[in-house]
Amino acid sequence: MSAVIFFIAAIGAIAGAIGVIAVRNPFYSVLMLIVHLVSLAALFLLLRAEFVAASQVVVYAGAVMVLYLFVVAYVGGGAQLASGPVLRILGPLFALALAVELCIAMLGSTLKGISGKGAHYVLGFGTPRHIGTLFLTKYLFPFEIASIVLLVAAIGAVVLARRRRGLETMGEEQQEYRISAHPPVNTGTIAEGAGIRVPTPEQLEPEVEVIGRPRDGGGW
Amino acid sequence: MIPFALVFYYEPWWVQIIKSLVIFALVFAILPMLTVYERKLLGRFQNRYGPNRVGPYGLAQPLAEILKFARKEPFRTVTAVGYLYRVAPMIAILTAVSALALVPFGDVQHIFGQRVGLYGIDVSIGPLYVFAFAGISFYGIMLGGWASGSKYSFLGAMRGAAQLISYEVSQGLSLVGVIMTAGTLSLTGIVHAQAGMWYIVPQIVGFLVFLVASFAETNRAPFDLVEADAELVAGYFTEYGGTPFVAYLFAEYANMIVVSGIATTVFLGGWLLPFGIHPPGWVDPFVVLAKMMLFITFFVWIRATLPRLRYDQLMSFGWKILLPLATLNLLVTAIVVAT
Repeated sequence: MSAVIFFIAAIGAIAGAIGVIAVRNPFYSVLMLIVHLVSLAALFLLLRAEFVAASQVVVYAGAVMVLYLFVVAYVGGGAQLASGPVLRILGPLFALALAVELCIAMLGSTLKGISGKGAHYVLGFGTPRHIGTLFLTKYLFPFEIASIVLLVAAIGAVVLARRRRGLETMGEEQQEYRISAHPPVNTGTIAEGAGIRVPTPEQLEPEVEVIGRPRDGGGW
Repeated sequence: MIPFALVFYYEPWWVQIIKSLVIFALVFAILPMLTVYERKLLGRFQNRYGPNRVGPYGLAQPLAEILKFARKEPFRTVTAVGYLYRVAPMIAILTAVSALALVPFGDVQHIFGQRVGLYGIDVSIGPLYVFAFAGISFYGIMLGGWASGSKYSFLGAMRGAAQLISYEVSQGLSLVGVIMTAGTLSLTGIVHAQAGMWYIVPQIVGFLVFLVASFAETNRAPFDLVEADAELVAGYFTEYGGTPFVAYLFAEYANMIVVSGIATTVFLGGWLLPFGIHPPGWVDPFVVLAKMMLFITFFVWIRATLPRLRYDQLMSFGWKILLPLATLNLLVTAIVVAT
């Protein structure tokens, strides 16, 4: 049973990863990445890491990828990818370097995982309680460092987003079109209908004051 | 790799299969009744009868509607993106139904000498499981809107995306207070921890935040901008008809049931009754269902009462009021629990 699930999830993960780089349309590329991430979550689940699997889906598939999809769907698939002679040489070089690095890392572990039976399952492994205890005792320092890095990133995002907004002051173009119009009376509000607010004679003249003027030839 | 049998489950596999079938059948029996319940209530709120032609009091209305929907011709727009257009409603309904497995309808019972927990599963990650499926259910909306190839659908899907992301944070944070008080993530554990007092009393702020965020998460009025019919025709399912449309409709109602179930479990004491009443075990599911119906009635009541928000109001409310409130509630709870 677990072998079947493993192969389904593993095929999903690999196919998704290949799909990300093989598909031309960025929208489908993001979808493939989601398939990959969900398959990874299934693999985590198979390893009894329930909390990691759930956070994988909540954070990556549920939040980060949503933003990716959001942007790609808005921008559309028409954007040309950056390309050029420099990238064409550098790209394979980087890929090769990464592959060599990964091979060294894998062979460096002397491939114990293939012949061994793996770690024993202990009751309570992978639960939030277990992970939380480890975070606050054994891995306290990395945990705090990661928290600070995340905080810096969050503040940085807010600062970057604020600078570009600039909606506080209206631009000249918008000011030109602003009109100050009092709500016309006798248009059938409840107060008028009930005779609570009787319009005075000068209110009966609707008063529309135009600041600036409409663009040439353009109607409202 | 560890075989599944090594892991501690006190139920044999066939009990789990029967349980999942029972929960599935129960909910899918309730879902059509909910549609007619909502329309009846809405009718009463608006001083009219609501559906009353098919069957006694119009109770057979959903049967007639499902028959009608099932016999519709499957169609799609010329601009639709083939298989994504078909897959999207399936994602929506699948994730909604999967989240149902977590709602506990009762404690562990002894049925024919077999220990059976009256819930789908009791996972150690509790509400995170629901949020994981809620995160994926977003793709049902997003892909449906995008693959329809229509501007209205696309706009509705985009609104849904922004809305779901914004309110998911507040919804999650509002539950953390309860989790800290109970000291466990397991939903049955949370119910047991409420034996003295339901969490609606000490966690009233968290409850309110959760309730408001739930309206947004289930795309219900007054946060139903996703399907704002005055501006967007019907939002992301504008181009859907027949059974795919029913899938979206049922997904919405199933999400309502899930949210009501979670709120019942986390804030209203699940199957517990006040004043120290301890009914026999078979009453538990009915208590939970009755409490869930309270929430669903509230959902309908709000829909009949409040007008739809504007989009910028929705966003600023979610980020500037709801999220700080949830965070404050979290901080205060943390301080109280720690001391």
